[in-house]
Amino acid sequence: MLIENIKTAFTQYKDQAEVSGFSTLREQAYHEFEKLGLPTTKNEEWKYTNLKALANKDFESTCVSSGNVKVFLQNALLNKITANKLVFVNGTFNTELSEIIEKDNSIFITNLAQARSLHAEIFNQHFGKYANIENNALNSLNTALLSDGAFIYVPTNKTVEFPIFIVNIADSSDVNVLNQPRNLIIVEKSAAVHLIEMYYSLGSNSVFTNVVNEIYANENSHVEHYKIQQQEGESYHNNFTQIFQEANTNVNHVTLTLDGTLVRNNLHFYLNGQNCNSLLYGLYMPHGNCLVDNHTRVDHAQPNCNSNELYKGIMMDKSVAVFNGKIMVHLDAQKTNAYQRNQNILLSDEATVNTKPQLEIFADDVKCTHGATIGQLDEEPMFYLRSRGIPEDVARKMLLNAFADDIAEKIKIPELVTLLEEEIEKKL
Amino acid sequence: MLSIKDLRAEIEGKKILNGLSLEVKAGEVHAIMGPNGAGKSTLSSVLAGRAEYEVTGGSVTYEGKNLLEMSPEDRAREGLFLAFQYPIEIPGVSTTNFLKTAVNEKRKYLGLDPMEATDFLKMMREKMDYVEMDKSLISRSLNEGFSGGEKKRNEVFQMAMLEPKLCIMDETDSGLDIDALRLVSNGVNKLRNKDNAFLVITHYQRLLDYIVPDFVHVLYKGRIVKSGDKELAKELEVKGYDWIKQEVEANS
Repeated sequence: MLIENIKTAFTQYKDQAEVSGFSTLREQAYHEFEKLGLPTTKNEEWKYTNLKALANKDFESTCVSSGNVKVFLQNALLNKITANKLVFVNGTFNTELSEIIEKDNSIFITNLAQARSLHAEIFNQHFGKYANIENNALNSLNTALLSDGAFIYVPTNKTVEFPIFIVNIADSSDVNVLNQPRNLIIVEKSAAVHLIEMYYSLGSNSVFTNVVNEIYANENSHVEHYKIQQQEGESYHNNFTQIFQEANTNVNHVTLTLDGTLVRNNLHFYLNGQNCNSLLYGLYMPHGNCLVDNHTRVDHAQPNCNSNELYKGIMMDKSVAVFNGKIMVHLDAQKTNAYQRNQNILLSDEATVNTKPQLEIFADDVKCTHGATIGQLDEEPMFYLRSRGIPEDVARKMLLNAFADDIAEKIKIPELVTLLEEEIEKKL
Repeated sequence: MLSIKDLRAEIEGKKILNGLSLEVKAGEVHAIMGPNGAGKSTLSSVLAGRAEYEVTGGSVTYEGKNLLEMSPEDRAREGLFLAFQYPIEIPGVSTTNFLKTAVNEKRKYLGLDPMEATDFLKMMREKMDYVEMDKSLISRSLNEGFSGGEKKRNEVFQMAMLEPKLCIMDETDSGLDIDALRLVSNGVNKLRNKDNAFLVITHYQRLLDYIVPDFVHVLYKGRIVKSGDKELAKELEVKGYDWIKQEVEANS
């Protein structure tokens, strides 16, 4: 049972706590987790996403990896483009597979464990400040058991020239594995960075990956952040990302959920200054009995900010999708523009989509819109293409690519767009 | 080329075509005219293979084959082309990519290799001139944001690209101003030759001043009730459809 495995793992970590210097926070987080337990469907936020199957499995918080990760990654996206790479295998930083090509040594691209000692001041100033553990069982779990993750610090006026890959590989060759990646990204004033967060799995056992990301964007900075889920097989994935934006910042986020048994993405934006732009784009295409749950929240705490959200789903077989988009416009946040759309195409009669926009507006001078659609591939475009001699299967792919194009066009890395097209091709 | 015999079709239980017969030979242009609700668009839909229409009787033979048994894509690849009355917009599908796919799918069907990219672009440029299509339009998504006239020109441009044997033009003139009508008609006239045939479906005679037909048929209550040459179209323009209706009612 997962709960017992977690208890065992925590007891083991506790013994090493003196060394890691995390004891108080871990202890606090663990107690919070113990108090809350795993979320159940009685919790409104988890109404459609049942973790029961996960709770009944046994997992090990292991670092052991016996699979050939190097071979596995050979044709992966990160090896096709020039980039900085931070690779973690079962939560452990892998120096052999990682590569930092950034030459400016005032920019830190490293792992958390190292940053905690080398860059203690920055670390302590930001770590745990954005992702809440209170009343959040899975964030508490991550904080209690976290082993390692990425630490990225971009100082004022600096731009990281090449994208940074944060790659997590869950290797379940030997046992069911439980990973708790934790990433901290600090982008200082007028700095810019491009992050690509990727999740893979290897091996035939089950995987539970529970991620927490904290991204701090200081004034006038620009952050491009893509999150790509490609863990296959029996894989459970929970991701909590808190993006904290100061004034005049631009943050563009894309979540691509291409695989996984159960994937829950919690994407939270907090707009703490004026003139912020936040873009949230998502594409999911679950198959089989898979479930994808996107919970997003945008907090407009200050006036004159824009947020625009578009999530699209291509639903196959008996898959289930959940979309819950919350927009909170705080009392002071006048002249807010907040837009939200969720569009789904059902390719099967047995697929299900639960979609729920949730707008809570406390300011009176704002523009907020939301909309959700669930439908089949339109017959008219299909007939048009076929009437020009294009066979049905080719026409369907063209139309699904066109549907996905609204998301694909936001991705600034052509190789990633190609990957997405290949995935669509593969799925149909 | 096309032989329609006693064709009967309905949609949602409503009988629309009630024994329509028509013979079209290569090199001919046939105009199909008729009042609203006569079954003009149903005829084009049935020929192109729209699934919503159910054929309840009769036969359609195209180039010796049973057209009604073929999928819409096979009909197209065998050389049938429908210029839509209302060409739809398909955001996210580029006009170039769409045409390249269509041209190469047809070539594949005919056992030919895909076209070289440079040859394809050259062909596009040539065929665009047929209807004086603006170059910027083909880099956009299919018909997205096109004006009514641009959409119809795009239909004729596609027709030129796919080089069909039998072209069905479904009220191509509807909603066109005189300049667009002239451009579209010029395009069609350039494509006319002894090996292909046109079925021009229209409510108004105006289009037939530009695309001059060899035969004019009047469709009423799902059947061809009168046939003649281009003079018949002119007569209809002057007298309207009422006299035809009266003639039919009197005979029945």
